[in-house]
Amino acid sequence: MRNLLLDKKTRAALLPYTLILPAFLVVFALAAYGCFWLVRMSLVEIAFGAPWDRSTWVGLDNYRWLLFSEHSTFWESAKITALYVAGTLLPELTLGMMLALLLNQKIVGRSLYTAILLIPLVVMPSMVGMVWRLYFSYDGLVNFFVESLFGTKLNWYGPQLALPAVIIVDIWEWTPFFVLILLAGLQALPQEPFEAARVDGASGWQVFRYVTLPMLSPVILTAAILRLMDILRIFDVIYAMFGGGPGRATTTLPLYIYRLTMVARNVGRGSAVSVMLILIILSLTLVLVRFLESVKFEK
Amino acid sequence: MRGSRLRKRAIFLFNNITAMIVVACFLFPYAYFVASAFKSRLDTFAYPPVWVFRPTLENFQTILEDMDILFYMKNSTIIAAISTLLTLVVAVPAAYSFARFRFRFKESIAYGFLFLQMVPGISIVFALFYIARTLKLFDTHMFLILSYLLWNVPYAIWMLRGFAEAIPVDLEESAMVDGCSRFRAFLLITLPLMSGGLAASAILIFIGTWNEFALAFFLTSTRARTMPTTIAFFMTHAGIKWGPMFAAAAIGTLPVVVFALVVRKYFISALTFGAVKG
Repeated sequence: MRNLLLDKKTRAALLPYTLILPAFLVVFALAAYGCFWLVRMSLVEIAFGAPWDRSTWVGLDNYRWLLFSEHSTFWESAKITALYVAGTLLPELTLGMMLALLLNQKIVGRSLYTAILLIPLVVMPSMVGMVWRLYFSYDGLVNFFVESLFGTKLNWYGPQLALPAVIIVDIWEWTPFFVLILLAGLQALPQEPFEAARVDGASGWQVFRYVTLPMLSPVILTAAILRLMDILRIFDVIYAMFGGGPGRATTTLPLYIYRLTMVARNVGRGSAVSVMLILIILSLTLVLVRFLESVKFEK
Repeated sequence: MRGSRLRKRAIFLFNNITAMIVVACFLFPYAYFVASAFKSRLDTFAYPPVWVFRPTLENFQTILEDMDILFYMKNSTIIAAISTLLTLVVAVPAAYSFARFRFRFKESIAYGFLFLQMVPGISIVFALFYIARTLKLFDTHMFLILSYLLWNVPYAIWMLRGFAEAIPVDLEESAMVDGCSRFRAFLLITLPLMSGGLAASAILIFIGTWNEFALAFFLTSTRARTMPTTIAFFMTHAGIKWGPMFAAAAIGTLPVVVFALVVRKYFISALTFGAVKG
């Protein structure tokens, strides 16, 4: 009976699509519905919480305000986001590489260490933010170490040091991400090139620069790209630590969305930032995935 | 010769001590906050910090009795467990399809999923808020469970695809030659071989959902609130209740830490969508 409509060959050809269909429907239906509302919200003026029929259509005014108004701090937030990315990604990658190289030596208890390094990655970020907020207080844990080392305490809650504080937390949380991935990458490398380099009398640095680094570059790039995409959307830790403040010191783009929507209660403008952030992330993903594929293809 | 052996010894010792110190630095902030959960109010604020103290359970008593923390734990568990289960139900066939068949637009569809996974929760959460209100689903477990699928399903597909591709196709084919249907061959041969990867994926998706903050915070008010959003309850007019906050953080993070250690073998491939084999 069930062969009534389609012959065997057609059914076989459709099988791959049939198997994907449920996932496709769930994900794309949700995404399409969500995006439809998001774009719609970005084209109106409405106070947060007000019923939808109170909204007034304003066209692209929200975007115009965002990009060109002197009251908009979109570009400032974009700059803070860029600083946040640079301040976290580079140290995490460098530190992660160094620690991965170290753990790749003869180390007693390596599996215990890698297990410990998993912890910062899985601990609830909102709680991490709260806990570090206390650590960074004037009489907190961080200042205890700062004072023991340098004899003076720092005001981490002030506008100059709030962003560095948030960055330090991210470095604690996510350096292990690079350590674990790069260590796995190192251990998967073939041994012959290293032996050849050693026979040729290459120094430790030369081996790293001319053997390890080129062979590991696809892994490094994959990790860095994934991390970048994640840093661009971090909300929970920063919200719990400073809520974007003091002033606008830690208002990255995700925090700017929150502030416009929930604090200024301007849904239209908040949604316009959301759309911009999604566009930024998707275009970056598109470019970087292409780039990554080309690097892998060369190998 | 003796000199070089001595040098090797020194390097070995140096490496091991450095590794121990650095790893301790990463453990310390977590260990300190778990320990702080057992401190009395006075000890929490002591400066310089007290390293040796009389442990007390008063913070745990506060969150269990006054804040009903178990209610939020229960919500978190229900939402994370059901969302994970639904994710696997739709993602396993899709991942199998991506791993086993060649068809048109295969990679485009796969990357389409990946792109959607990249959409930040905070950028879509207020749209979801209006949708939830329109559908009268605000503050329900169901709406959160469904919303999480948007991120969990693509993630699961990419991860499970990697695990499925690692299983030799010959096994399935020989079963099919022996008269098994493709479905039975998958059920009896491929699925059992994937069970490790499947369990790892399930646990990691569970952890991610359990920890999620933005959606849980803005799409619930009282009935469906989860653990990560309870941080708001510790910020009172009289200041932040740090002791109970540490206790909640300790309770909320211990299960995921234990889970993560169980599946640590699979962690790398999971973190990178299978791009790097762990």
